[in-house]
Amino acid sequence: MDGSDGDPDGDVIIRMDGVWASYDVRNTTLQEINLKIKAGTNYAIVGLSGSGKSTLLKLMNGMMVPSRGTILVEGHKPDPQNKQFREIMSRIGYIPQSLGLVRNSTVLDNVMMGALPRMKPSQFLLKRYSRSDLEQARRILDRVGLPGKEDRKAYMLSGGEKRRVAIARAFMQNPRILLADEIVSELDGTTSREIMNLVAGMQKDAGLTAIMIHHDIRLALEFADRVTVVQAGRKVMELGVDNDEILDFQSGNSTTQEILEMYGDDPKE
Amino acid sequence: MTPKSNLAIGVIAAVVIAGSWHIDANPGEFVDGLPNLWMVAEEVAVELAEVESTMVDRAFWSMLETILMAFIGTMVGYALAFPMSLLASRNLTSRWVYVPMRGILAAVRTFPSIMWALLFVIMVGPGPFAGILAITMYTIGFVAKLQYEAIETIDADPMDAASSIGLSKLQIVRFVVIPESASHLLGQLLYMFDYNVRQTSILGLVGAGGIGFYIITYIKFLQYGKAAFFMLVVLITVLIIDWVSLKLRDRYVIKSQRGVAADGAI
Repeated sequence: MDGSDGDPDGDVIIRMDGVWASYDVRNTTLQEINLKIKAGTNYAIVGLSGSGKSTLLKLMNGMMVPSRGTILVEGHKPDPQNKQFREIMSRIGYIPQSLGLVRNSTVLDNVMMGALPRMKPSQFLLKRYSRSDLEQARRILDRVGLPGKEDRKAYMLSGGEKRRVAIARAFMQNPRILLADEIVSELDGTTSREIMNLVAGMQKDAGLTAIMIHHDIRLALEFADRVTVVQAGRKVMELGVDNDEILDFQSGNSTTQEILEMYGDDPKE
Repeated sequence: MTPKSNLAIGVIAAVVIAGSWHIDANPGEFVDGLPNLWMVAEEVAVELAEVESTMVDRAFWSMLETILMAFIGTMVGYALAFPMSLLASRNLTSRWVYVPMRGILAAVRTFPSIMWALLFVIMVGPGPFAGILAITMYTIGFVAKLQYEAIETIDADPMDAASSIGLSKLQIVRFVVIPESASHLLGQLLYMFDYNVRQTSILGLVGAGGIGFYIITYIKFLQYGKAAFFMLVVLITVLIIDWVSLKLRDRYVIKSQRGVAADGAI
């Protein structure tokens, strides 16, 4: 099955059709999700805590399996057991809310994890990184604002620095897709804007598709081309800005101020 | 105290008293036997006052042999235990792998080291090699359990992040499991060596080499003073190793755990 056959949007990189998901039998986390994400877009998912945003993201890289419906990522069904999809996974940068850094490892080792799928056992077992990988890691660390910190242990870093390491790890994968789960939610306003600008810049340069979860709809609308609003496990709106007007592409209506107030976090300064 | 715990204490006390009566353990005999201890102590004091240099020599070399046996057994056992503990960890392998692996390790663990020593003396003949094999087996059974328990406490977040990149099990072990459990693994290694030196000291009882051979021989020939001198050497050695491993633990294990604690506070 190929996601692009007979599809007018040939450049759709992720699509979901009638997807349901749940963690246990009794509670459904997501219901009837349909979405198409075009390659190269900056896509945002917004919703309150517990709305199912993180689950939606985990479905995209096979970290979770849907209970119903079909998902296609680059034309393949997400399945970590499948060798072909494992290769796709190696090019999907995933930054979980917890960041998932290895605390007792250095910044460099954490970043190099992104390059592991392309390393030989003799390289990764002895941590003998190739010159080109080392150069790339240093370049990315410079770009995320951590020059010269490659030998620091991850547990010694500040919250903002840890996020930068996780971003660097994702970009070390040479990703085609970037999934980020509320990476700026606990930071102060200035730092979160800095990090958003950084990610948006790197995303544009690499021409990759970014799907980012946000707590704050204003931040999402500022950086994303499309914003999906998830409410109690359902996709209720798909917003986009058109000529300074916020439109709901799902219903075709223009939205009111109401929605901005509902999902707008007061910027933390 | 709740009535329930009172009952529990009552039951335990009853088992201790009735059990002692059943196996004929009479506290009166302990009191009657105290003068014997005094006799031994006198003999030991006399003997210790005139320790010959050949005895010191013998004690030193046999103690060194014991330490070497314990060291080799600990290291080899530890190295063999590690891959087994990876296979026994619930967060790394499927049920079909970890259940049988745990069964094997539990079976290995049922034998005390002296039983292994007996077995290996029969297999390879008496001497230090049998002792090393015994310590190796004991270490595998004991330390693999500690290792897989430590591995199972690793934070799931870095593991998930690593598998989302599509990393292989071997890559996850190298980049997540080893760094995240390193301080525990080092602590266990020190503990195991410390414990194994003590154990190896008695393996000579069944002919598996080391200082225990002299201790058991002197006891058999009723030369308690000489036996006591060798036991004193064991005591001093164990105290020194204890002290060194305490220092190493402070330097490497506690420090990295503090780092983790500080991390949680951010």
